[in-house]
Amino acid sequence: MRDLQLSLNQTRRSLAPAAASAAAVTVEDTIPVNDEDNILKGHGTSDQDGEVVATLCGVVERVNKLVYVRALRARYKPEVGDIIVGRVIEIAPKHWRLEINFSQDAVLMLSSMNLPDGIQRRRTAVDELNMRSIFEENDVICADVRGFQHDRSLHLQARSQKYGKLERGQLLIVPAYLVKRRKQHFHHLKQYDVDLILGCNGFVWVGEHVVVGENTNKMEDKPSLSAEVENFTPLETRKHICRLANAVRVLSALGFTLTVELIIDTAEASVSSNVEINNMLGAEFYVQTAEAEAMRRADLLRKKSGSR
Amino acid sequence: MRQLKGEIGVVAKADGSALFEMGNTRVIAAVYGPREVQNKGQQVNSKEALVRCEYRMAEFSTGDRRRKPKGDRRSTEISLVIRQTMEASILTHLMPRSQIDIFVQVLQADGGTRSACINAATLALADAGIPMRDIVTSCSAGYLCSTPLLDLNYIEDSAGGPDVTVGILAKMDKVTLLQMDAKLPMDTFENVMELAIEGCKAIANYIREVLLENTKRLECQRG
Amino acid sequence: MVGLSEGEKHFIRGGIAQDLRADGRRRLQFRSVSVETGVIPQANGSARVRLGATEVIASVKAELGKPSILHPDKGKVSIFVDCSPTAAPMFEGRGSEELSTELSVALQRCLLGGKSGAGAVIDLSSLIVVDGKVCWDLYIDGLVISSDGNLLDALASAIKVALSDTGIPKVNVSLSAATDEEPEVDVSDEEFVQFDTSSVPVIVTLTKVGKDYIVDATSEEESQMSSAVSVSVNRHGKICGLTKRGGAGLDPSVIFDMISVAKHVSQQFLSLLDSEIASAEAAE
Repeated sequence: MRDLQLSLNQTRRSLAPAAASAAAVTVEDTIPVNDEDNILKGHGTSDQDGEVVATLCGVVERVNKLVYVRALRARYKPEVGDIIVGRVIEIAPKHWRLEINFSQDAVLMLSSMNLPDGIQRRRTAVDELNMRSIFEENDVICADVRGFQHDRSLHLQARSQKYGKLERGQLLIVPAYLVKRRKQHFHHLKQYDVDLILGCNGFVWVGEHVVVGENTNKMEDKPSLSAEVENFTPLETRKHICRLANAVRVLSALGFTLTVELIIDTAEASVSSNVEINNMLGAEFYVQTAEAEAMRRADLLRKKSGSR
Repeated sequence: MRQLKGEIGVVAKADGSALFEMGNTRVIAAVYGPREVQNKGQQVNSKEALVRCEYRMAEFSTGDRRRKPKGDRRSTEISLVIRQTMEASILTHLMPRSQIDIFVQVLQADGGTRSACINAATLALADAGIPMRDIVTSCSAGYLCSTPLLDLNYIEDSAGGPDVTVGILAKMDKVTLLQMDAKLPMDTFENVMELAIEGCKAIANYIREVLLENTKRLECQRG
Repeated sequence: MVGLSEGEKHFIRGGIAQDLRADGRRRLQFRSVSVETGVIPQANGSARVRLGATEVIASVKAELGKPSILHPDKGKVSIFVDCSPTAAPMFEGRGSEELSTELSVALQRCLLGGKSGAGAVIDLSSLIVVDGKVCWDLYIDGLVISSDGNLLDALASAIKVALSDTGIPKVNVSLSAATDEEPEVDVSDEEFVQFDTSSVPVIVTLTKVGKDYIVDATSEEESQMSSAVSVSVNRHGKICGLTKRGGAGLDPSVIFDMISVAKHVSQQFLSLLDSEIASAEAAE
């Protein structure tokens, strides 16, 4: 176990390209700016004695005239249009409060939700009383960010059929900075029949595939125990779900950015090396994944420098 | 100054965490936040974040085993001191209506626990990505046998000489914490305080290196 | 502890029924264990055990004290557990008292035996220095730093490792003391007596979810349990203590079955722990 830790550290060191380290800053470091005027100071910076000083530990990013510090392990910073996964904490008059790994809880208004029967109409008092039948406490929900209101609270919306309650799967929490904003966050992995949703806030959902539009029969009572047993996720799908979930755990522990391709590659690497699902969380697989990633990045660098 | 060691990210579940050692004094700090305010009654100012802090000593941390180490007056006082010191540095107006919890757990106490806690809390807050005005560091110094001594351990502290604890904002060169017990003539006091401030600056350099190293490592891993 | 939605609970129950838990383990598999000794140099013995994401530290301190009047030939041992707020924000202030007390009492029952001191795992009479006057008081303290389920097993294994790392200083008693006075004892700094921990038991907690039992539950799985039985078994297969938690009633045959499963699992866990102890000592 200890030898494996050492080899893991060595592999980690070999991952270090020199370019990224140049822009790192810690709190109270001066950020070098060339133009003294017209520099816009963004997040993570402040003005002290005429110098631009970092208030966060992170990487300095410059976009035209904007200078800001991107923090690494901080909480999620919402932007309009992000797809996120959250958990319901409280049911309040006309809205639900969700926890989304932000400094405040987010609000999902009843009017921002599609009603179960799909009709567009005004929400009545009966709807308000039936809020619990749509989402309960502790439910996991997928939604997207609508925006900040004037009282600085964050509002969400779930207006399309693909958003809504997530069931039959597991929720994983990873640091938010490992999920980059892409065009697609919903991934239906056909070869496994598994849904993978990478929430921008670091909540990742891996679960059984649910056909969109099938969520109209929610009004039943809880099924009896025997009915439930037949209702369990089939073993094959469950194996795929666990493998993908472990791949996400390994990648987030190693600190690699999460992309669908990487997750699938890692899961398939574990299958081809005959690693048992639970052994994916063991030290050998960590080292194997780290080495594979190091090789992949070296290849990428070679291609970039070769194509120039 | 005793040997320093700082390690970031020891508690996986916390937003930020750090382990800080000054000689034999070992302290773990964990930061949870900024998150939604749990107890609305405690929130005084809705334009700023609420900072809370709790200091706890493990029962095995001191030479003689203590019973009931939490809730006693010394712990409450140190919790208050740490909270005020960190609050001076955190840019609370950037995170309104949220709360930041700082939990400090002493694993081993060998003098200078107050300083080690503040240094560990600084590391943990930086790890959690909470914006701060400056790095807060702290160090203690005393005066024994006509010599100013830096970073007293438990034996030297119990020898009866004065003990000055200083906390500074490193780059801005401002003092945020100053505590002293026992008597000290004014000019000697100035010497001892100068020594403590130098100690703080040395710790600040070390902390800055640790944070920079950690940031680079995370960024490289991220790819 | 964060709540779980109905869908997630259903998934966990299904996984346990199909012998494939959320992280891929089988029902009777432990998470990876990592052991480190000597983490608290000021104590006589200490250990840190990591069981997945659960991390606990145990320390053993020995101080000289007076034996109780009822047992003048035995030393004293006491066990206390504290949950640090670094593990979860709800542990701050008095939030952890209930859990700490529950863990302390369960550990005391399993490791210290009954009120008369009979059946205790550590031979208390080995702790005596001078009969009726001076004995060693052992204080065993546990601290939970990070919590992800199965705290009892982690604490018990940490205590076992800490005891194996403990050295009680040798004491020289000056023989010239009169019978009524306090004898003089000279605590040596050089020589230490190690404990024999081969008979210290380890605790295995079996959590019952639905119709099956699992070992080493994470905190999510623990939220689903109907009841849990913690059995402490030593190397010779003897049961040293038993605790049942949870409100659901259990059929006695089920309990017997759980005990035999616990015995079987504990042997594997014991050998794993022993090898970790040996490698930790070799590394020092």
